[in-house]
Amino acid sequence: MAIYETIFILDSLMQTKEIDSAIERFSEILKSSGCKIRKEERWGKRRLAYEIQKKQYGFYGSIEFEGEGDVVRELENEYNFNDKVLRYLTYRYDKSKLKVMEKAKEDSPVKEEKPAVEKPVAAVVEKAEEPPAEKTENDAVETEEKSKE
Amino acid sequence: MLKVRRKRVCQFCEKDIEYIDFKDDRQLVRFLTEQGKIIPRHTSGTCAKHQRQLARAVKRARQIAIIPFVTDFTR
Repeated sequence: MAIYETIFILDSLMQTKEIDSAIERFSEILKSSGCKIRKEERWGKRRLAYEIQKKQYGFYGSIEFEGEGDVVRELENEYNFNDKVLRYLTYRYDKSKLKVMEKAKEDSPVKEEKPAVEKPVAAVVEKAEEPPAEKTENDAVETEEKSKE
Repeated sequence: MLKVRRKRVCQFCEKDIEYIDFKDDRQLVRFLTEQGKIIPRHTSGTCAKHQRQLARAVKRARQIAIIPFVTDFTR
């Protein structure tokens, strides 16, 4: 048994329901052939570095699983059959990755309270509107003129 | 006259990075030329072990459209 990760790019124009069902299908295939799913991730919609089938954006997702190598062929058959899959990549974790994972495992019991990794939401800075300021100036001038009179 | 060359140290060894993640495009881009080619070892100073890993990471990242195969300058 080895650990693999499969990454797929789906058409970003798909409905969220369709995406859910597609991911469900992939994991179902893995489960039915006796794999243990370790992680399921959605990276979300991302810009592609180059166009694939005339598309600039894609929905990325990944599944980390543990199983035998012959499952990969079955999974890739499904990818090829499904038109909504733009690209896929399945690879086996090499020893350096496994080493890092083991280290993380050893560290994790010590640090139980892990800070939640959340991306800071970029605050939208609204520019102060210029026109009202001008108006007030004009008003001020007008009032001054009136006072002179 | 001898050129005094400062010996470069592998950036991955310095930072004690064991696994080069191909999903981290920002890290990979630092080892690519503007055209998207992998910078050779004698220029970047990366050690053999990490250069092999880096090459694999870059090739994977290219496959799933995280970094481009080529950056074309349309003129």
